[in-house]
Amino acid sequence: MKKTIRTIIALAIVSLAMPVFAADPPVGDNDAGVVNPEALAKITPNKAPYSPYAGRNYPTRPLFGDTHLHTSYSFDAGTAGCRLGPVDALRFAKGEEIVSSTGQRVKLSRPLDFMLVADHSDGFSLFPRLLDGDPAFMADPTLRKWADMMNGGQGMEALIEIVTAQTNGTLPEVMVEDGFNPQRPGYRSAWHAEIQASEDANEPGRFTALLGYEWTSNWGGDAAGNLHRIVIFRGNADSARQADPMTTAKPWGSPDPRDLWKWMAAYEEKTHDRVLAIAHNGNLSNGRMFPIIESFTGKKIDRAYAENRARWEPLVEITQIKGTGEAHPALSPNDEFADYEIWDEGNLDISEAKKPEMLEFEYARSALKNGLKLEVELGVNPYKFGLIGATDSHTALASAEESNFFGKTSVAEPSAERWEHDFAYNPKLNLRIKNWETSAAGYAAVWATENTRAAIFDAMERRETYATTGPRMVVRFFGGFDFEAADANSRIPAKVGYTKGVPMGGDLTAAPKGKSISFLVAALKDPIGANLDRVQVIKGWLDKDGKTQERVYDVAVSDDRQIDADGRCKTPVGNTVDVPNATWTNTIGAGEMITVWTDPDFDPALRSFYYVRVIEIPTPRWTAYDSKYFGITMPKEVPMIIQERAYTSPIWYTP
Amino acid sequence: MKRILKEPLLHFLLLGAALFIVNGLMQNPGPRSDAGEIVVTMGQVENIAATFAKTWQRPPTPEELAGLVRSHVREEVYYREAMAMGLDKDDTVIRRRLRQKMEFISEDIAAQAEPSDTELNAYMEAHADAYRIEPRFTFRQVYLNPEKHAENLDRDTMQLLAQLNQAGAEADASQLGDSLMVEHQFSVASTSEIGSQFGEQFATKLSELTPGQWQGPIKSGYGVHLVWISERTEGYLPALAEVRNAVRRDWENARRLEANDKFYQELLKRYTVTIEGLEPVEKEKKPVGKPTK
Repeated sequence: MKKTIRTIIALAIVSLAMPVFAADPPVGDNDAGVVNPEALAKITPNKAPYSPYAGRNYPTRPLFGDTHLHTSYSFDAGTAGCRLGPVDALRFAKGEEIVSSTGQRVKLSRPLDFMLVADHSDGFSLFPRLLDGDPAFMADPTLRKWADMMNGGQGMEALIEIVTAQTNGTLPEVMVEDGFNPQRPGYRSAWHAEIQASEDANEPGRFTALLGYEWTSNWGGDAAGNLHRIVIFRGNADSARQADPMTTAKPWGSPDPRDLWKWMAAYEEKTHDRVLAIAHNGNLSNGRMFPIIESFTGKKIDRAYAENRARWEPLVEITQIKGTGEAHPALSPNDEFADYEIWDEGNLDISEAKKPEMLEFEYARSALKNGLKLEVELGVNPYKFGLIGATDSHTALASAEESNFFGKTSVAEPSAERWEHDFAYNPKLNLRIKNWETSAAGYAAVWATENTRAAIFDAMERRETYATTGPRMVVRFFGGFDFEAADANSRIPAKVGYTKGVPMGGDLTAAPKGKSISFLVAALKDPIGANLDRVQVIKGWLDKDGKTQERVYDVAVSDDRQIDADGRCKTPVGNTVDVPNATWTNTIGAGEMITVWTDPDFDPALRSFYYVRVIEIPTPRWTAYDSKYFGITMPKEVPMIIQERAYTSPIWYTP
Repeated sequence: MKRILKEPLLHFLLLGAALFIVNGLMQNPGPRSDAGEIVVTMGQVENIAATFAKTWQRPPTPEELAGLVRSHVREEVYYREAMAMGLDKDDTVIRRRLRQKMEFISEDIAAQAEPSDTELNAYMEAHADAYRIEPRFTFRQVYLNPEKHAENLDRDTMQLLAQLNQAGAEADASQLGDSLMVEHQFSVASTSEIGSQFGEQFATKLSELTPGQWQGPIKSGYGVHLVWISERTEGYLPALAEVRNAVRRDWENARRLEANDKFYQELLKRYTVTIEGLEPVEKEKKPVGKPTK
């Protein structure tokens, strides 16, 4: 081994002084005749071009950010104690130390590259207005009561009453009008203030403050669904100011995604800007997020639905504080990594218990599979989406690190008791979600060509994105028909990847006869994070009988472990976590993994998709950091160790 | 004198006096404060109609207008009776609202003055760290993977370093060392950009190296690197013109907080505060305005 390296180094040094092909044997016969190495050397100089950017038009590093952050402008965030607004949220994202709503000093380990402050369009800025005693509100006895509760330190109780009222449609009228009609002066001036905060923080090339909001539809018939979407604009403040955000209450808005898409189309027509939407928390929709038949309307989705969904919603957020939306163990019994930060008690407010038949229509992997089936029936795949992660934090703090987790809401900021609080409780159904179940996740990684609003938006539209549960690992994923094993040795895998294939989020079609589909997969650990356990390719397809199938392949594993003939490595990577001290060591796992993987079961006649999941070695969960810091012991049911991960957007193959 | 003219408190007092006079003029023709008499003036009726029109995009019908005026009178009656009964006392919402109105007044005053360049320059120098432009580096790096070299890492690194220095600036080092999924060559990259890809310690270490020779090893989150810096742009405090908007924003914010506090402290002087069971309240500490850059 040592010798090989020395030889390689020696050869490389020698080659510095010589034309590049001089040492090679002449290239064999071909149609162009014999190539004269010396002549060729002149055309392909040995020296790299002076400008390092010459010949590069692909993104060289992923940008990390959060597309889903709430501040006090979100009603539920405010009622749960958030006192920080969009300006504070952006300062924190840029790496500044700030003081949290509970008076704790807090800072990110390193700045984010971009941030979208996405407050709920419903009830937008009502909280600051309610807390400040907006006279119009105080005339209403219910609002008055809520204001008193909040001023009396019962923010959480107020929140529960408010969410219940919102779900039951019994919010006080004045609040409904002021919080749901974006044309009201109070609403509009707050919306413009939020835009201005981003405009002031936006520094093209260094930090991007995206513009947008969250449309929070809880439509769902008898119980609250969860059809939430983040809406993101491509352009600048000038166009965003022309938009009155879409809300969910009639007559100003609507809870039907079809109406959101109409709103998006109208916005584009009016401003000539562009806009996209990102769905999230399908896992709390009780089967309503990725329907084939909408359970609450009883209608089968049609071609128009599929076309619009495909057009307006290129991405899905699959990891965040309220659990994982990738895959469920009941749907993927052969995937032992699927049981990760799962929330399957019920819907958003656990007013309705989860039933097994709902799962298929709320997790991303099954939706991607059903999308293949629907494409055959409708001619369009409504669920051809890429993947990102986000925090959905309601503290104005985009904290997704286990060691630096500031909770879902301000009342869940670090304290010795936060883990045992109820996140949600329904005594009638005896359903409960504990606060320790909240997940310190996640971030969006975007392969944008530069750090600007437009470039990030464009990368999102082409689905060149991946989700992480918090760590900033680098993941490359290219698919094509010409990758060969040697490509994994390339110094610049991206160059080979873009030349020979399509990146994550892309499409492949018409496989050349006799060739299988192959992928160049590369993952690099977070420079300040944990090593990697394994890299997996997850394949979904529609079989000959029109049935959906899935399979997990381990394609690279650390520590010289064996991948068996069935494509799986059954040896766990091990565990170095010292739970009482909340530490681990990088003595197992690998820093970097690159491989070319060819699908051994590829059938060019079948529709399929492939995405990559990168798994880190075990590290302490935020509950372990809490236990250590506060010197507390949590019961056995509380997990102390996790294996964080990244999920890429799929590459689709269509015959 | 100039100084005094700029004092927020003076502005407040002047503005307050002006408001008082204007208020008096405006209010007087309105509902008179004489007990038992309510007069709704033409001007107020017009105002009620205009507010309606702004919301509904049409003027009110006569019936609607009559209803609005009736409602206005009802509000006035209740208002006066409530004040007479002292219902405004001990009401947190009303108290908070009034406090907020006072703060709005002092904030408005702070917002009046347009800062001069001298003021902004002074502010910028006092908060230099918030505006400093980061150092940038144009460099190449060759990586050695500790997993691959194990106990020979140091020796292999030194050997490679010697060879690289022999080859010098012209060396195409892009194929040397071990492969790593970060770029070999970086062009005018800022320390934060470098830090996000290699880890902060690497970025810090980079500033200590001399350009124009292969140096190292320096550590990153991945292993060790040999580095050739071809160009270094020092960090600097930019000219005001480059960052005027940001400085102005921060200056205004600081000024607003300062004005609020000064205003409050002046008002506080008129009171002796006694809290039973506690020490007398000291002068509140000045809030520290933090620049937002």
